[in-house]
Amino acid sequence: MAEQKSPPEDILNVNNLSFYYGKNLALNQVTLPIRKNRITSLIGPSGCGKTTLLRCFNRMHDLYPNNRYEGEILMNSHNILEKNVDIIALRSSLGMVFQKPTPFPMSVFDNIAYGLKLKNIRNQNTLKEKVEKALRQAALWDEVKDRLKENATGLSGGQQQRLSIARTLAVEPMVMLFDECTSALDPISTQKIEDLIVDLKEEMTIVAVTHNMQQAARISDYTALMYIGKLVEYDETDNIFTRPKNKMTEEYVSGRFG
Amino acid sequence: MFSVTLKNQIFKSMCAFSAVSVLLIVLGMLITLVVESFPALRHFGFLNFLTTADWNYSKEIFGALRPLTGTVISSIIALIAAVPVAVGTAIFLTELCPDKLRRPIGTAVELLAAIPSIIYGMWGLLVFAPFMEKYVEPVVSASLGNLPIIGNFFQANTQGGVGLLTASLVLAIMIIPFIASISRDAFNQVPDMLKESAYGLGATRWETLYQVVIPYSRNAMAGGIIIAMGRALGETMAVAYVIGNRHAPLDSIFSPYSTITSVMANEFNEAANLQMSSLFALALILFLANFLAIIAANRFLPAKK
Ligand SMILES: Nc1ncnc2c1ncn2[C@@H]1O[C@H](COP(=O)(O)OP(=O)(O)O)[C@@H](O)[C@H]1O
Ligand SMILES: [Mg+2]
Repeated sequence: MAEQKSPPEDILNVNNLSFYYGKNLALNQVTLPIRKNRITSLIGPSGCGKTTLLRCFNRMHDLYPNNRYEGEILMNSHNILEKNVDIIALRSSLGMVFQKPTPFPMSVFDNIAYGLKLKNIRNQNTLKEKVEKALRQAALWDEVKDRLKENATGLSGGQQQRLSIARTLAVEPMVMLFDECTSALDPISTQKIEDLIVDLKEEMTIVAVTHNMQQAARISDYTALMYIGKLVEYDETDNIFTRPKNKMTEEYVSGRFG
Repeated sequence: MFSVTLKNQIFKSMCAFSAVSVLLIVLGMLITLVVESFPALRHFGFLNFLTTADWNYSKEIFGALRPLTGTVISSIIALIAAVPVAVGTAIFLTELCPDKLRRPIGTAVELLAAIPSIIYGMWGLLVFAPFMEKYVEPVVSASLGNLPIIGNFFQANTQGGVGLLTASLVLAIMIIPFIASISRDAFNQVPDMLKESAYGLGATRWETLYQVVIPYSRNAMAGGIIIAMGRALGETMAVAYVIGNRHAPLDSIFSPYSTITSVMANEFNEAANLQMSSLFALALILFLANFLAIIAANRFLPAKK
């Protein structure tokens, strides 16, 4: 993190974003930038709206009725929350990894190739290349290269989560959205995934929800603290953890509430 | 006053007694079937009984071949007709149906499953069979009926619409709600996160449905379909009304034919001696077939905990 003096460009800009589950206000006027090729952590006590914010980026909320966005999220100066946005394309450029591994009921290879096939990539050699690349990026290749035809549900939990990551990486998204993706894993698997997330920022931008503050401190460049749907403080991770401007941030990072 | 441990003890023994008595009843039925069918099976030989087509009162020759094929064919046709409709219904209910309609339609499907089968039989005889005779048979025999070799098999008959195909379709209608509600439950059990993973990769609703939701529910659906087949195999009243119960070679899919259950329902009252024993032998075969279906279904259905 040495040469980050001038802030890098923003890939996403959240402007006055509010979000409603029916009548329930879950995000209240949130504004923050997401910097390109950096890791941004979203932290805060359970129920503060981290997942809700993350799921705005790829419009996952659109799957369910009565959800409503207000405000904007700008990407290349277009508001991705507009009605006429191509959600399919949006989702393949913002990949998401969930709390728990979600292997599809098919082989390891087919899992990774799934998103590619959705994009109509059928050429077997191209598929093989891209699957291998994604598995290597997710630090899983060596463990599964002889088991590509086996059902993915037979892998261990940690392997399944890296499979979920590889599957998302295969479609080469610009942004990766991680939602507490290590919360169901043992420390060694967690370590592997943290390492690979850090490696990934060379090629893409990362937004990671975590309720583990040490994890946020270890891996992220920027950190946003949220509380009851509002953004409390956003800054470089170092500042948030060592010289927070807000009293509440100070209490939260020192473990006095949350 | 009973002590707590004594109460527990009594409760436990009562539960154990209930469980054991269920087992004993099943065993008792099996024993009855074996004992009563013994004379026929000894007279004809088990394999011979299975492979004999005749069912002839005056010659006293009884064989299971026709009722058994009738049962198997009608069940298979019923499944082929019912599965697509039922799965389509389940897809509609879980993925397409507006929220407000979901409960009423779901309840209607369950009600359909609760209608006593004799009502399906009466409806089949009074409404569906005439419909088949008037509208379906002429069309099918005018088209498929002209095919070389197999054409004869699609010729209409003049029996008021009663016959194998009519019975199969009434069976199909009976098992649709059953397969539909099992499939719907299976679809509902697919974790949201799994579906969202597919959506997150840029899948559409249909891609998610066909490539993730249905494969994930495959086993539960297969189990449900086998249980439905078990019901179709053993269904009596709906079939007995509309199959015609004729002991003759099957010349057309529209012809009256027989199934194990239709023979039993029609002849049990007047049978005696060898015929009676042969009916029990049919019952034994059905019992075993259903038993196999349940074992097969349990292999597919996820263990209940
Ligand atoms: N599907 C939903 N419907 C209604 N309210 C929801 C839904 N999901 C989350 N919420 C509410 O929105 C708020 C934020 O939730 P969430 O974003 O999941 O928090 P976090 O991820 O920070 O723990 C909570 O109060 C939660 O109860
Ligand atoms: Mg969350």
